[in-house]
Amino acid sequence: MKKNLILILCMLCTSLTFANGQFEKAMGKNVPAMFAAETSEDLQAAINNLNRIGEAEKNRWEPYYYVAFGYLKMSEMYQTAEDKDKYLDLAMKAVEKGEEINPNDSELEAIRGYVNMIKLTVDPATRGMTYSGLAFGSFQKAIALNPNNPRAHFLMGRMQYGTAQFMGGGTDDACSSLFKAMVLFGKEEKSDNPFAPSWGKGSTEQSIKELCEKGN
Amino acid sequence: MRTGFFLLLFISAIVSQGQLTITGQVTEKSGEPLLGVNVYLQGTYDGATTDIAGRFSFSTSEMDSLVLIASFIGFHDAILPIASKSQELNIMLKEEVSVLNAVIITAGAFNASDENQREVMKPLDIVTTAGATADIPGALNTLPGTQTVGETGRLFVRGGDGRETKTFIDGMLVHGEYGPAAPNTPSRSRFSPFMFKGMSFSTGGYSAEYGQALSSALILQSKDVADNNRTDISLMSVGGDVSATRAFKNSSLAGKVQYTNLTPYFELAPQNLKWDKAPTGLDGNFAYRLKTSKTGLLKFYTNLSTSRMELFESEIGNPEAELPVTVSSDYAHVNASYRELVSEKWGIRGGVSMTTSQDFASISDNSRDQKLNGGHVKFVADYQHSDRLAILFGGEVVKRSLDQVLSDETGPFLQNFDETLTASFLETEAFASSALAFKGGLRMEQNSLNGKTTLSPRFSTAYKTGTNSQISMAYGQFYQAPQTQIILTESSAHAEKAAHYIANYQWVKEGHSFRIEVYEKRYDDLVKYASIYESNTFQFDGNGYARGVDLFWRDNKTFKNMDYWVSYSFLQTEREYRDYPGSFTPAFASSHNFSFVMKKFIDEIKSQIGVTYSFASGRPYNDLNSEKFLGGKTPAYHDLSFNISYLYSNQIIVHAMVNNVLGINNIYGYEFADQPDNAGVYTSRAITPPAKRFIFLGVFITLSKNKGINQLPNL
Repeated sequence: MKKNLILILCMLCTSLTFANGQFEKAMGKNVPAMFAAETSEDLQAAINNLNRIGEAEKNRWEPYYYVAFGYLKMSEMYQTAEDKDKYLDLAMKAVEKGEEINPNDSELEAIRGYVNMIKLTVDPATRGMTYSGLAFGSFQKAIALNPNNPRAHFLMGRMQYGTAQFMGGGTDDACSSLFKAMVLFGKEEKSDNPFAPSWGKGSTEQSIKELCEKGN
Repeated sequence: MRTGFFLLLFISAIVSQGQLTITGQVTEKSGEPLLGVNVYLQGTYDGATTDIAGRFSFSTSEMDSLVLIASFIGFHDAILPIASKSQELNIMLKEEVSVLNAVIITAGAFNASDENQREVMKPLDIVTTAGATADIPGALNTLPGTQTVGETGRLFVRGGDGRETKTFIDGMLVHGEYGPAAPNTPSRSRFSPFMFKGMSFSTGGYSAEYGQALSSALILQSKDVADNNRTDISLMSVGGDVSATRAFKNSSLAGKVQYTNLTPYFELAPQNLKWDKAPTGLDGNFAYRLKTSKTGLLKFYTNLSTSRMELFESEIGNPEAELPVTVSSDYAHVNASYRELVSEKWGIRGGVSMTTSQDFASISDNSRDQKLNGGHVKFVADYQHSDRLAILFGGEVVKRSLDQVLSDETGPFLQNFDETLTASFLETEAFASSALAFKGGLRMEQNSLNGKTTLSPRFSTAYKTGTNSQISMAYGQFYQAPQTQIILTESSAHAEKAAHYIANYQWVKEGHSFRIEVYEKRYDDLVKYASIYESNTFQFDGNGYARGVDLFWRDNKTFKNMDYWVSYSFLQTEREYRDYPGSFTPAFASSHNFSFVMKKFIDEIKSQIGVTYSFASGRPYNDLNSEKFLGGKTPAYHDLSFNISYLYSNQIIVHAMVNNVLGINNIYGYEFADQPDNAGVYTSRAITPPAKRFIFLGVFITLSKNKGINQLPNL
């Protein structure tokens, strides 16, 4: 009987590790699929998969983080303001789901700011006032929560650049944020969590090249 | 026993290795396949996304009580339990009626919102319109359905008098929404457009929630909790203001103090009026916002102002004789409102507002002193039965007490009234689909002064005729108490009545909007009198009509960084009311009104420029030297205004505005002497703007940690 108990316990162990393995496997497949998707169909499929993972795993915020990122990508694939808003609203809903599981997280706060920044670009003339405040507010909070989050600094830099473009003004603030982001990307250590956000280094390099090294 | 146990385990292990394949198709009601639907087993990773034919297929090793969910944006989730054997499923999703796809009832309504891309106006449009000088009615006067009545500055809608338009802030009625002005000069709204995040300007057929307006309702929604600290300083040719906003975790506090003094400006720019003391004013605005919960919001707002002016007006018959004129006003308005979602389906909102004002005007020995105390309490509940059916109901009490002292050489003459209006309303909105909506409402009002109860039904409907187009229709009955002097003379005077019939076609496509609206308005129970101070001459059977066509075109796409709109209104109206000897077109009505508004941002000079051209055909006036009543006609009105906002730096903006650039002599009407001269002719005098042009200069400075914020959106 004892043996059987152990056997059952062991089966439980394996099924537990299997469940964990399943999360890693599914995320390992769908996060890259989301980043790689080039058509809205592929992207929607990856987002749907990530949403399913999120709903099944009640205490993982990462699936929702990538769902939000996926919908941000999706909004870029559409032209009309109505379509863009539709996907940006879905992105914001995903951010909120993630925040319920993991409140006060620098990465989620940064992506919240990202969604507001893109919402602003849909109609800068009318939304500038409200959404620039929301986006700046989130980036500031994301940096306060984790001063070493390179993505928060990168997004802050993009926002400062966009503001300078729209309102007039130099790129000094934007570039200093971007350089800061670059330094932090260099220092960013491999997290214990394989699904912690790690994107952004390439985009930062690109932005620095375009905005801060012109004529230098 | 023991073997049996193992056998069970073994079997279940085998079964759990088994695979179940679930395949099928997802369509919408019409049979169209849906692409991109997330079809999955609840609580598992197992699922698939539908392809272009709406098909999906996936296998699962899960066996227990399987629940399949099909989820897609814009549709209700389909949830179905499935049997543990392979099968072919046909799933039909039901469309969700949401803000994004639902048809909007547009008959009679111009809505402005930052959020909804399908609205034809934005709150910001109000403030950047040249010639409007950041005055809400000024900007709305460039929309179709309004008539330019330059000497008042008020909103005259579709053959209605200025007093037939009422203003509501966060659902609460505002008494005395216009500031004081010298005789025959335009007054400005007391409420700054910067306070509001959304507005709905209804030119007819509006919701049963609003009453006491025969023609039009201007419904303003104030801003929510502010997110950033900021301080703004404005230095203007007519005065200056300082405002500050402090944002806290769940609340914000904002205040603004403004001082206006037109003395220096009038010294520089010659005026037709002979000022003794040019208008001066002190204005304070304070707002507090508190988020009481995730969905609850408490708003508190107050406006305090005092202003005074003195001038000389020459007698019409005897221009040598200059009569002193004094106008002064003290005003306080307090408004508190609260809203909360009590549950997923129930929402409540309510508010209290109080207004007290003292308005004094005198011309030599004649004076009028009005003291108004107004109060309003309102409660509204809404029940969202489903995305297709919503019900709203509520009640309100509006109190108004007015004391008036008219004085002349014979002494003072006192009049007053104390009115309590109790109203209840019910309105339901139903969607047959996202393309077809109906709204029906009923409003009941009871007036304490005349003891009468009125019932006003309202109906409207809208149907989407295509992706970008829709038609909408509205009908409604509206009641409003007669003008205050009538009630002062005869407190039992009952409400005047109007019925609206409106049909509208609208086409909106990314950056372009087109609207055409036709309407017919019937007035009944209008007050007729021989003398407004003698109640025995009153009769309550006056009537009238107004009908016309309104056209609107807006385009902010064709030309880069440029936005323009064109409005045209045609109006035909006559009334038999007041002391009219029959049915005539009133003096405030013009048949043709046209506006062109253009705004363009020019990168090279970091400036936004704006141009507004307004035209109104001639208006009738009563020529005392003619046999014919209201037989005269003024020349047409033209105005070309220009403004420019220059972005000196991120946080400093310089703004300039000139109206009537062309210097046209506009004539609003004629006044006549009380008595004919020796030759038996009544001497006349044209009513004209106080100066040919008005020039405004200002520097606006924003102090904020957040460098993305400046006052540009305010200009």
